[in-house]
Amino acid sequence: MKLKKFLKGTVVAATFAAAAWTLPQVQAEETKGPVTDEIGVVMIPKGAPIFIGGYWTISGPDTALGLDQQRGAEIALDDWDGMVAGHKVKFVVEDSQCNAEGGQTAATKLASNQNMVVVVGPDCSSAGTPGGPILWKAGIPSVATSTTAPTLTAADRPEGLHGYLRTIYNDLSAGAADAEYFFNEMKCTTMATVHDGSPYAEQLVRVAEGRFTELGGKVVAAEAVTPTDVDMRPLLTGIATTKPCVLYFPIFVASAAQIVRQSSEIKGMEGTTIIGGSALMAPGFLEAVGDSAVGFRFTNPDASDDAFGERYPQLVKQYEEKYGEKPIQAFHANAYDGMAVALMGIEKVAKTDADGNTYIGRKALRDALFATKDYDGIGGKISCNEHGDCAGFKFAVYEFTNGDPSTFEIGTNPKKIHP
Amino acid sequence: MTAAASSETRNGLDRLKDLKRLSFVDVILWALRIGVLIVVVGGSIGTLIKGRYSMEQWFDFFMFGLTIGGIYALIALGYTMVYGILRLINFAHGDITMTGAFSAYFLARGLDRSGFLDANPVISMILIMGLAMIICSAIALAVERICYRPFRHVATLAPLICAIGASFFLQHSFRGMYGSSIRAYPDPEWMKGQVNFLSFEVPLYQFVVIGISLAAMLFLYLVVQRTKMGTAMRAVSEDRDAASMMGIDVNKVILFTFILGGCMAGIGGVLYCMVYKQIYFYMGFLPGVKAFSAAVLGGIGNIPGAMLGGLFLGVVESIGPALFLDGIGIAAPYQLRDLIAFTMLVMVLIFRPQGILGERLATKRA
Repeated sequence: MKLKKFLKGTVVAATFAAAAWTLPQVQAEETKGPVTDEIGVVMIPKGAPIFIGGYWTISGPDTALGLDQQRGAEIALDDWDGMVAGHKVKFVVEDSQCNAEGGQTAATKLASNQNMVVVVGPDCSSAGTPGGPILWKAGIPSVATSTTAPTLTAADRPEGLHGYLRTIYNDLSAGAADAEYFFNEMKCTTMATVHDGSPYAEQLVRVAEGRFTELGGKVVAAEAVTPTDVDMRPLLTGIATTKPCVLYFPIFVASAAQIVRQSSEIKGMEGTTIIGGSALMAPGFLEAVGDSAVGFRFTNPDASDDAFGERYPQLVKQYEEKYGEKPIQAFHANAYDGMAVALMGIEKVAKTDADGNTYIGRKALRDALFATKDYDGIGGKISCNEHGDCAGFKFAVYEFTNGDPSTFEIGTNPKKIHP
Repeated sequence: MTAAASSETRNGLDRLKDLKRLSFVDVILWALRIGVLIVVVGGSIGTLIKGRYSMEQWFDFFMFGLTIGGIYALIALGYTMVYGILRLINFAHGDITMTGAFSAYFLARGLDRSGFLDANPVISMILIMGLAMIICSAIALAVERICYRPFRHVATLAPLICAIGASFFLQHSFRGMYGSSIRAYPDPEWMKGQVNFLSFEVPLYQFVVIGISLAAMLFLYLVVQRTKMGTAMRAVSEDRDAASMMGIDVNKVILFTFILGGCMAGIGGVLYCMVYKQIYFYMGFLPGVKAFSAAVLGGIGNIPGAMLGGLFLGVVESIGPALFLDGIGIAAPYQLRDLIAFTMLVMVLIFRPQGILGERLATKRA
């Protein structure tokens, strides 16, 4: 009996010890080769690869959002010939699933690799909110590529997000621009909003509501759905009673598609223009909505050639050559820039000893990334501030012209209608 | 002390004892009942006083609720029949619904593209639903044969776990076969019309969906009540061993039950897709959970109960957020729709643990 108890105790203790050992932790100050760093040093032996991670939505209805960015990052890597600091890059991509659970799992998997140097991504704020801190706890900075929620780079953000920067705009700009468009261009004085509880949608809607009220407009209904809701008719009937001029719902493909399909059936919605957000710039949206998409508008960062940097047409050409189709979403340029910033950061801090081994200080890399200034990126000028915001915002409105997913092509379907 | 006085004292003591017997859980349950009642009554009065919604809009809410409720009811029938016969919760039933609707999608899309769906609505719907019914029944039978039959005489949780496993298996097989994107179900022109009903304009598809669900439920009820096989089903559900001794082929009855459940799921799945226009591999899960709740709400094992439970759940989901929560000033009430539906479920079960129509089951089966 005693032996049994002892064995049981040993097994439990061993399990806890193993769990504690495998949990990614930031080490204390460390010196390896020529490099001393506050939170740790990664040593890459001569000939071994440098690990760079990535996590985006690569399954489910929002696949185009993530896949497009993974491709952007891969093209950047091709432009560096797959090499950085004299080592081959091993690019490990995980699925963020565009939700918190997915982000957490993907980040934990990436962080469990002790040789991981930096992570590019994610695409969704809901994945970055838990993912960023998990990575930074392991000393790995993240360069997010389309997470726009203001809290991620707010001055009072939690410690875990201090290693998190982004080559995409902040929704403080996007939400305000959206509200200004509704009020100034569409001449709307009443607005209804719908978010889906995700950090991206909720924060964006709050910013837009604030700006709209400031301008003198009135928010007549502020509603919320869950991403899996299918029956939007009661919600829309409720909104219709307030007779808004514009219904703004910057949510994701599945639930947005239901709103688009069902709003035309609701009495009282005839005078309301419905407008979605940038997550809907995807062939998957047309697949989910069908012909009801024709004439539907959504706000999006300007994705036309002249809005991007000079090298953008070249990126599109490489994209088509490599993947056999035109870009399937709007953030591949931001992802290209994200990877470029990461690679330049590594080049800046990597030190190689006489034997050809390379050493990268984790804190030094984080600081180098945050110090990126005036880089002429494909998505525009990249200059990071101390909170991790690196890119500006150019506003545009798009409209779908055809419901067939195979006709999706940024510029024609959807076509830019403003500015 | 007079006799009357002493009896009064005794009564007083009894009451005190009763009070002492009141456990902590009882207090919480009573508080919950009172709290929910206050929200429901207070909220409803508040909403009606505010007068935000017109009579026409309340009617719309009711019709939205009946539409989705009819679909829940069809799916719930599969849960309740299997429970009645096997005392087994067939958790894979929601996903069986998805398999039929997903397979029928390809036919529906083909018919839509060729223009046949618009030209011949009745034949097309019969073909689409027929295919969904065949696929659902076939998969339901396969699940029964592989996952449930080996455990039929084993009194453990194994069949339940197996059912959950089957549910995941079906979801991910369809994801593997057809991908994880959302596809748009066709939207034929004839479904877009409006009908004037009691001076209200009602979309035609709502009548179609409610009509087909009611017809299917009536058909099922007649099968169970009026046919030989239906009588056998009822006998097996009363007492399987006795029915077997009376010469009823229990295996055959069980297979028949799964086929009937599969057919109802096939119809329910196609109707769900015709209303919500989308299909993806995970779509069976939530309607499945709701339909299971509807079956429990109506009294699991009871066929009219499942129908009533489904309609009740649909209507509460649709009317609840506007009626109960608008009045007490809760912001964005629609995201609490599931909460309302499940709170109502809990309330009904607190007041009537056997479900709305579950009386006949209470003594023998529960």
